[in-house]
Amino acid sequence: MSTGGNIIEIHELKKSYDDGKIKALNGLNLEVKKGEFLSIMGPSGSGKSTLLNMIGALDVADEGTIKVAGIDLMKTKELNEFRSQEIGFVFQMHNLIPNLTVLENVEIPMYETDLSSSQMRERAMELLKAVDLEDKADQIPTKLSGGERQRVAIARALVNRPSIILADEPTGSLDSKTGDVILKLLSDLHEKENVTLVMVTHEPYVGNMAERIVNVLDGKIQNQK
Amino acid sequence: MSYLKLILKNPFRNKTRGALAIVGIAIGIMVIVALGMVTGGLKESTTSTLKAGAAEINVMQTGSSSMGSGRVNESRVTELQNISGVKETAGLLKATNTSTSGSSVGTSSTGTTSGTTSMGSGGPNSLGGLSVTGMDPGKLSLAGIENVTGSLYSATSENQVIIGKTVSTNLNKSVGDTVNLFGKDFTITGIFETGNFMTDAGVFMSLTTLQNLTSNNNTVSTIAVKINQDANTTEVSKSIETSYPNELSTTSAEAIAGRMNSALSTIDAATWAISLLAIVIGGVGVINTMIMSVFERTREIGVLKAVGWKERRILGMILGESVVLTLIAAVVGTIVAVVGVVVLLSLSFGGTIEPSFAPGIFLEAFVVAFVVGIIGGLYPAYRASRLSPTEALRYE
Repeated sequence: MSTGGNIIEIHELKKSYDDGKIKALNGLNLEVKKGEFLSIMGPSGSGKSTLLNMIGALDVADEGTIKVAGIDLMKTKELNEFRSQEIGFVFQMHNLIPNLTVLENVEIPMYETDLSSSQMRERAMELLKAVDLEDKADQIPTKLSGGERQRVAIARALVNRPSIILADEPTGSLDSKTGDVILKLLSDLHEKENVTLVMVTHEPYVGNMAERIVNVLDGKIQNQK
Repeated sequence: MSYLKLILKNPFRNKTRGALAIVGIAIGIMVIVALGMVTGGLKESTTSTLKAGAAEINVMQTGSSSMGSGRVNESRVTELQNISGVKETAGLLKATNTSTSGSSVGTSSTGTTSGTTSMGSGGPNSLGGLSVTGMDPGKLSLAGIENVTGSLYSATSENQVIIGKTVSTNLNKSVGDTVNLFGKDFTITGIFETGNFMTDAGVFMSLTTLQNLTSNNNTVSTIAVKINQDANTTEVSKSIETSYPNELSTTSAEAIAGRMNSALSTIDAATWAISLLAIVIGGVGVINTMIMSVFERTREIGVLKAVGWKERRILGMILGESVVLTLIAAVVGTIVAVVGVVVLLSLSFGGTIEPSFAPGIFLEAFVVAFVVGIIGGLYPAYRASRLSPTEALRYE
């Protein structure tokens, strides 16, 4: 649940592609409170994934302002540190590195920190325990089920203690039963780790799990509930 | 897992591709090391001719094509001692034992300070083609022979010889054994080793005995001249040639070694050209391997950027993987080269040419491998580091 002031502040954000022909974001305004669980919904091409990419500093807007965790993303050049320390991504496709073990995959975000190898290992195991996968630490991702891989991805997203988790259709490639497990896990971790959770989805029952839903259409917030 | 371990692990995600890239570079490294070992060995051998005791100047008949092919009156040996700057002289008669029953004088090829060799019809393990030199045993130091295991032959002995280390090894002969030369049995009284592969492949006996055997009484093929410490080689050589115009010509050991090294330098240059070609081909293989690797890992690189990896860390990872491949290739190529050279030289030349194991050869190979790794990985690494995270994550 939200615990305070805004952690995300977006004002008149605009982003277009293909020399301006595609207006992915068209003057979008949004505020997200710290600790909030927000669902972003909308039809395909509405701009919800683009919005998520902007919040996560994976892309840069053309116009407008966007402040995340106190950092003005439009004015900051080096955003790697921001992504490393403030953001945890959970993708639809888990995007685990296939030749690394589960443990090694979870350790990957910690390479830009000052932690020693043993400290990285300890923290990674802590997260694997939290997602109930500590016994699979030495396995490679291809040996895991879809749900297990997504749990590893969630552990990876949380390993640097980010202030925001951005989940882009995290259950999109899972069956409903496994999807429910993942959603519950995300929700529980959101409570336990006190992170702000912003999740993109096009499924109403998934969106309804959040504290607040915003609907995006044609690059703008349509309504909120 | 540490960053370094990741770099060591990644090149072998596709084992076949990694192995092929390694083979490509290893071939180039193998060429560099193998040719370096052989030419280095030859250079070390020619350098050993400039031994402290060996003659600096060799005198031969003017117009003779090689040091063994001419004939010089033996009286000149004593006369040359009167030339200013000359410390000591010795006459050498050279012959080739072409068969166990026959012999020939002056069939030796162009040479070195003391002897020539040809492997003849019988190969390195037979007496055919063995280089035989007749020389006063008290003057052997002028031929570079300082230490002899056993004892020397006597000046008047008609059936004693000393043999070089290579001859001893190839013919499996020791002190006390006999060898048949010019249809006659000779007892081996000693074995010498000078480090010069040509000298060590020869046999020495009494000058008088060889003159008699080859019907060359009062004749020598060449005169070895040792100069005083404060004398100048060029000036002494000039004095000799001036004193005996149209009769005697000189060549210095240094000049001979220099010519050989010059020839070896030409071989060096050719070696480098061949090696460079092999490296370029192997290097293109590395670039191709790394570009393919980056291409296949586009989405993965997007994830690394999404979790906060800096561009330089990604660049370092790809470059590191490239260098890992080439350094492994250096190890493989070096091992194959060393084994190949040792085996080939012992089979082809009977051990007359010792390969060089100078550390510089191997260091050069590893430096080349490292540089190829950097150059080959630079463009793919740069491309990877500059990938847009969103585009990389969308890549299928």
